Amino acid sequence: MPEQKVDSYARRLDRPVQQAVHDNSAAGTEKRYGSLGKDFADADSLRRLAGAIRQHSIENLDIYLEQAEASLTRNGAHVHYAVTADDACRAVSDILKKAGAKKIVKSKSMISEEIYLNDHLATQGIESVETDLGEYIIQIDGDHPSHIVKPIIHKNRRDIARSFEREGLGDYNDDPQTITSRARSFMRGKYLGADAGITGANFVVADTGRLVLVTNEGNSRFCLAAPKIHIALVGIEKVIPSDSELTVLLNLLGRSATGQQLTVYTEFINGPARKDRPSGPEEMHVIFVDNQRSEILASNCREILRCIRCGACLNVCPIYRQASGHAYRSVYPGPIGAVLSPLLAGKNFKELADLPKASSLCGACNEVCPVDIPIPDLLLRLRNKAHEEHLPSPGTPPMAGFGILASSPSIWKIAMKTGGLSSLVPLEKLPLPYLSPWLKTRTLPGWRGGQFRSWMKSRNQK
Amino acid sequence: MNTSRETIFKSIHDALSPIKERAARPSVPRGVADAKWLPDEADSIALFKKQATASGTLCFTDLESLAKWLESENTRLLYIPAEFKPLVEYFSSRTNVTTDYKRDLVDEIDVCITPAAAGIAESGTIVITDESTPDRLAALAPWYHIALLDRADIHRTIGDAIASMPEDPNIVWVTGPSKTADVEGILIQGVHGPGAQACLII
Repeated sequence: MPEQKVDSYARRLDRPVQQAVHDNSAAGTEKRYGSLGKDFADADSLRRLAGAIRQHSIENLDIYLEQAEASLTRNGAHVHYAVTADDACRAVSDILKKAGAKKIVKSKSMISEEIYLNDHLATQGIESVETDLGEYIIQIDGDHPSHIVKPIIHKNRRDIARSFEREGLGDYNDDPQTITSRARSFMRGKYLGADAGITGANFVVADTGRLVLVTNEGNSRFCLAAPKIHIALVGIEKVIPSDSELTVLLNLLGRSATGQQLTVYTEFINGPARKDRPSGPEEMHVIFVDNQRSEILASNCREILRCIRCGACLNVCPIYRQASGHAYRSVYPGPIGAVLSPLLAGKNFKELADLPKASSLCGACNEVCPVDIPIPDLLLRLRNKAHEEHLPSPGTPPMAGFGILASSPSIWKIAMKTGGLSSLVPLEKLPLPYLSPWLKTRTLPGWRGGQFRSWMKSRNQK
Repeated sequence: MNTSRETIFKSIHDALSPIKERAARPSVPRGVADAKWLPDEADSIALFKKQATASGTLCFTDLESLAKWLESENTRLLYIPAEFKPLVEYFSSRTNVTTDYKRDLVDEIDVCITPAAAGIAESGTIVITDESTPDRLAALAPWYHIALLDRADIHRTIGDAIASMPEDPNIVWVTGPSKTADVEGILIQGVHGPGAQACLII
């Protein structure tokens, strides 16, 4: 029987990497529980409120996006729109070319990963440096992030030390403090010499036009302190109605992501530099990117657009912990990725249609989600979509036999009566092509079936 | 660009039009996300100190102990904005002081004292704006940043701070020193921003 691709990847994964991903994820889940429990009597109702806020925001996206555009424009920002990933890349390079910008610094942004911005800028002869420590290591290694919040969860200090040595950042040294301080001094030169800074945004507030960015390292502050141009790439779904909703969302985001009450830096960007406040970038551009989001909004999986990218569902997921992020073959891994990635793939849905099956539907992802996304329901809807589109489903034993059994009472009765034989026969030795891979690692409990009807009858007679 | 805009708004419109009843906007009661341990009649200054210290921000309430700490750290060059004359005078007799933040001195100036616009007691957060710190790098580039925080400017909760946001192009909430846990989940301070964050409550 062909195996699910996520399973195959997990099987090939180096044990130490798997252990690191498992331990780091589990620690993330613990920190999250700790900080929510310490601070809130009823964190669950706060999650549900946040979910309702986000659901309202996306179901009124037409209103709020237009309002955000007006507010941003009023604040002095230029607003652009990009339908596809290519459009978004072009929008960025057009702005940069117009300004004659050759060197840019970038802070962490999932949407820039999604549109492969760095690859595009390289083809345009523009130097783009990732400034988040983890993302920088990903960039010099030509790798991909394996976690939304902890991009190099799959690398250890020795891997990083070798990469730094190769890039000429000093002799081999795998002390995390040394790695960090080398990155610090290397980035200083990049910030001060950059023509433009590129960021994402965690939220855009429609009525005030604030872009909100949360970080821990301070790199996004640098991207907005030295360069003269700021470009923010923002998914259209990031818009929320007003500042008061921010209170709820910010109180949940840091705790869900890293167990922090607030991340070290929460930045509110309210426009470019002004005559009386000349320190920041003189030009500010906001590019709203659709890239399939309006399609998702039209689908029966629109709840996934509530996501605020905290990574809590990755940390808690038993599949993610075993398989790591690259197993998902897409920018967004874990439970969120198993829903979002096939949808973002659009016409290429079939290539990632196996991802929604990489779940035991245990429901932990929904329980930890700060915006209460019903991820298991969405996984089922996508499994159904794959079924309706007649896509192959590797790893699933054919259920036709069971279908016949379960739809005929008399056949069912016979099966129940004879089921006891399975306790006597060594099933794992039988040549059952679809069952033997399962039975290699699983044992059936002793047969106890077929007694319900007689129990029910005797109970009725009493 | 206009065509992209129209395309996107049309897609959004088409996506939303089949929804018979859009999800209502939930009310967000004031204080709904307040920490449960928040004292009713909060002594905001004591709470601020406790929370700031927990997040890694050092709190000073007198100049003498701040100066002693800086001496013990062997700092090189201290920047203080010229308008804080008494501070400039106080530190000039003890260490190298500049009142001019020059960008070519970014690596030389290792301590900056700049005013905070506000504080948040619930989270021990310092609020910095372009108005309070005219050169953004001065609160970001040095290893040691000391925010001057007026005790009258301390908000009780995160919600209170959001409800009274200053009018400024750039508002930054600072909760502790710059940090990362990217390398094997090990916490390291001072990645890009200050490795030591402090505040002087006045």
